[in-house]
Amino acid sequence: MLEFRIPEPVARAMTEHAQAEYPKECCGFLVGPPGEVREQVKLTNVDPDPVMRYEADPKEMKRAYDDLFDRDWEVVAIYHSHTHTPAYPSPTDVKLARDPNAAYVLVSLQDRSLPDLRAFRILEGRIEELGVVSEEKAS
Amino acid sequence: MAVEVRMPTILRKYTSGAKAVEGSGSTVREVIEDLDQRHPGVRGAVVTDGGELHRFINMYLNDEDIRFLGSLETPVSDGDVISILPAVAGG
Repeated sequence: MLEFRIPEPVARAMTEHAQAEYPKECCGFLVGPPGEVREQVKLTNVDPDPVMRYEADPKEMKRAYDDLFDRDWEVVAIYHSHTHTPAYPSPTDVKLARDPNAAYVLVSLQDRSLPDLRAFRILEGRIEELGVVSEEKAS
Repeated sequence: MAVEVRMPTILRKYTSGAKAVEGSGSTVREVIEDLDQRHPGVRGAVVTDGGELHRFINMYLNDEDIRFLGSLETPVSDGDVISILPAVAGG
């Protein structure tokens, strides 16, 4: 299984974002130099049915991408939460996955006291799980 | 009109990895057509067979979403920046 490395503070911040938005789904980017997660970018979920679905605010995404463009960074992962189902891509997630270069990170709050974090690649409808390695310090 | 077009990572396979390319035209649609001449595949990734902007692509002229301007018929001026971004959505 390929690894997905994430600094522990970023993983914690992502889980906190999910908890703060509960029962709505949260969403955001994990960004950094190619292939390396350095920072979290929270995005607002503007889907009309935010408990079941997510769509990132286009204006916030534009600002995030402008910043990445200037820094030569990229969207290393796209994250969102599932508040009532496991941390596994839903059929909608698979259908709407547009970025073969990014990892898709899921935070499940199905059990709110025990958040579950898993990472995947979604390529042309196929789901491949990545092994999440949480690191104390960014490398 | 010469404009800069910023490509998302997923479309850089059409631009030999370049994160921005130059295009010309008097509307967003003409710029995309122009780009497709030199970078075949760009148009198909952005515009549907019916000639509309793909539902899950967002395009911006400078800071404005072109859906709130004139969509693909939005006029462009020298020095404008067009950004193409994939929508981020799921369930």
